[in-house]
Amino acid sequence: MTVTGSALAMLGGGQALLGSGQAFAQAQQGRLRIDPTEFQPVPIAITNFLPGSPSDGDVGNGVTQVITNNLKRSGLFAPIDQAAFIERINNIDVAPQFQNWKTINAQALVTGRMTRQPDGRLKAEFRLWDVVSGQQLAGQQYFTSPEYWRRIAHIISDQIYERMTGEKGYFDSRVVFVDETGAKERRVKRLAMMDQDGANVRYLTRGSDLVLTPRFSPNSQEITYMEFGQGDPRVYLFNIETGQREIVGNFPGMTFAPRFSPDGQRVIMSLQQGGNSNLFVMDLRSRSTTRLTDTPAIDTSPSYSPDGTRICFESDRGGRSQIYVMAAGGGQAQRISFSKDDTNATYSTPVWSPRGDYIAFTRQGGGQFSIGVMKPDGSGERLLTSGYHNEGPTFSPNGRVLMFFRDPGGNGGPSLFSVDISGRNELKVPTPGFASDPAWSPLLSATPG
Amino acid sequence: MNVKVDKTLVASIALHVLVIGWGLITFSSRAYVAPEESLPIDIITTDQLAQITAGQKTGKKEEPKPKVEKISDAPPDEDAVGKVTTKKELIKTTSTPEPPPKPAEKPVEKKPEPPKPVAEAKPKEEPKQEPKPEEKKPDPAKEDPIAELQKKLETKKPPPKPPQPKVAAVQPQQQPKPKERTFDPAQIQRDLDKREPTRHELTGSALNASASLGSNTGTAVSNVATWRGAFQGAVKRCFTPTYNGQDADQYEADIDIPMKIDGSLAAEPIVVAVRGPSRSIAQAVAESAKRAIVQCQVYSFMPKQQYESWKLIPMTFGLKDML
Repeated sequence: MTVTGSALAMLGGGQALLGSGQAFAQAQQGRLRIDPTEFQPVPIAITNFLPGSPSDGDVGNGVTQVITNNLKRSGLFAPIDQAAFIERINNIDVAPQFQNWKTINAQALVTGRMTRQPDGRLKAEFRLWDVVSGQQLAGQQYFTSPEYWRRIAHIISDQIYERMTGEKGYFDSRVVFVDETGAKERRVKRLAMMDQDGANVRYLTRGSDLVLTPRFSPNSQEITYMEFGQGDPRVYLFNIETGQREIVGNFPGMTFAPRFSPDGQRVIMSLQQGGNSNLFVMDLRSRSTTRLTDTPAIDTSPSYSPDGTRICFESDRGGRSQIYVMAAGGGQAQRISFSKDDTNATYSTPVWSPRGDYIAFTRQGGGQFSIGVMKPDGSGERLLTSGYHNEGPTFSPNGRVLMFFRDPGGNGGPSLFSVDISGRNELKVPTPGFASDPAWSPLLSATPG
Repeated sequence: MNVKVDKTLVASIALHVLVIGWGLITFSSRAYVAPEESLPIDIITTDQLAQITAGQKTGKKEEPKPKVEKISDAPPDEDAVGKVTTKKELIKTTSTPEPPPKPAEKPVEKKPEPPKPVAEAKPKEEPKQEPKPEEKKPDPAKEDPIAELQKKLETKKPPPKPPQPKVAAVQPQQQPKPKERTFDPAQIQRDLDKREPTRHELTGSALNASASLGSNTGTAVSNVATWRGAFQGAVKRCFTPTYNGQDADQYEADIDIPMKIDGSLAAEPIVVAVRGPSRSIAQAVAESAKRAIVQCQVYSFMPKQQYESWKLIPMTFGLKDML
């Protein structure tokens, strides 16, 4: 805690010696100040969603479990064990006895109800209460098909998250990744997609061809990825709904590391030419391509800033792989990665945060692979996790969490992990088998279509 | 037979005998002087003193008067056993201002003076050597001139001579006992007066063995910084903001807190202003701060004597150190 109380005030306030020009500063100084140094999750009580009819009990408990799990995994909330609850909620339309929830130190309380409608749909209602003030902070109801109850739970989680933190949530989102099965020498890699919490896994490809670096489009309906087919590896577009795919461009050499522009109208990627590779962007409507870099070096892994005006990418034009930033239309590139403690460190796989405030990267140095973030000007570099092999960071839709894959080496395989951008709350993301190359989708409920 | 005697040898032997003999006589005859009995002096640091006198929120309220009276009973029993009645009469006539020659005994034990040589070697630390009470938060800008002045004085003067504690410690031992029991009103007055400093000195530590809210005879009660710090600490315990982004240091919420004299809230905390790039996040910070303020009440440790100074507490909640 930082204390910046006025010394004058401390002496009794009788010595008002400051000039009138300093009135505001004086007023601010006279205020007590609190800056918490340690982050503490908010204690929250989440009661079981009441069943509208006896048959709705399971789905009610399921929704409660998903919400609890989401909020807990975010690291910002500490759901209170239901065994500690004093009051049993029997009717969500009646205000709870807040003293009962204060007693167990809850700052917020979630109540809800799931009711099957005559038309077969499911009605979900919830209320978020401020236990301290006794006021309702949020209250919503949703209708959906019963099979989408998990998505309703994610949407309610986002509502709670947003109301309590002031930021958009990220629970109603998906992750596409490369699912890996089989022995290490003959590993089968398939494109797979799941909810951000690891549920509802779906496989998008059969595993006959090697797939790498899948990336979501901003509308969440399309994925671009690289696939090693019969010839050179190529960049493909894949429509999640229809299952159709197509090659992006018809280039003579290998294309790789594709990523959508924020408006979804373009795909930026690398094209190999001889021993070098350069950045190209292709307009998906006109299919016209534009060269962005032309250097005798390897330029790859481009990523747009959220406003689409700049791109960051990795290049070895300086001798080692480092991160550069330049205008989205090309031009002078500025190197932003400078390791202070290890001049031999290399940086790769840069990705711009949807919030615009950070660029995440993989850093290799000192015999370790680290995941870190830095500001777009290269300052404020912070390593979030280090180890034998960590790679491929991707941001959650709200820019608060990073997902990446970690390979422990040996005969095992990679797994997905998530970590807060402050480096806290590192968690393993459940997947059916080995998994790598994760890419987080935008928020589903916020995307058009 | 003629024996040759070496004169120098004889002289040497004679001299040695003389010297040894003189030494034996001299040293053996010297009376053993018992070493001066020393008074135990506990040296405590300023932090310890502050801890002793700071008081605790959870402590019981002390009743200072009875405690002081207990102590004041003890010391005067030294010599004037038969004059108790006359003393009591004289207590009421406290008009005699003549100070006694510092025969205070027990107070000496509490002087927190560090060793003097340190003060000499580091003149800048001189101000700290002062037996300051617990609070060290006053404006540093104010201390500087005083410190410098003291420094100058120190450099002009020879090393500081034994400060009071030493003198006071030695004096009681040298004090000869009254040889004859004669009625001497002046002596009685001196005996009576010496209790006064005893009272003041003992209010802090020895008397307050148990936790208390502090003595109203000490300086803590007039210390604004004390309740400010305690209030900040109490609210901080409940403040759990959820934002720790890169721009966290730009978020602030100014909140005024109306208080009742019993330490509870007189009304809901008033959000005066919020600052930060995102209004929704700033608003969430303010709400989190309000929850903390309400949840952590009642602030019963607030000094009622100074209610006017904390009737409305203006507070700023920031996220500077969140990352």
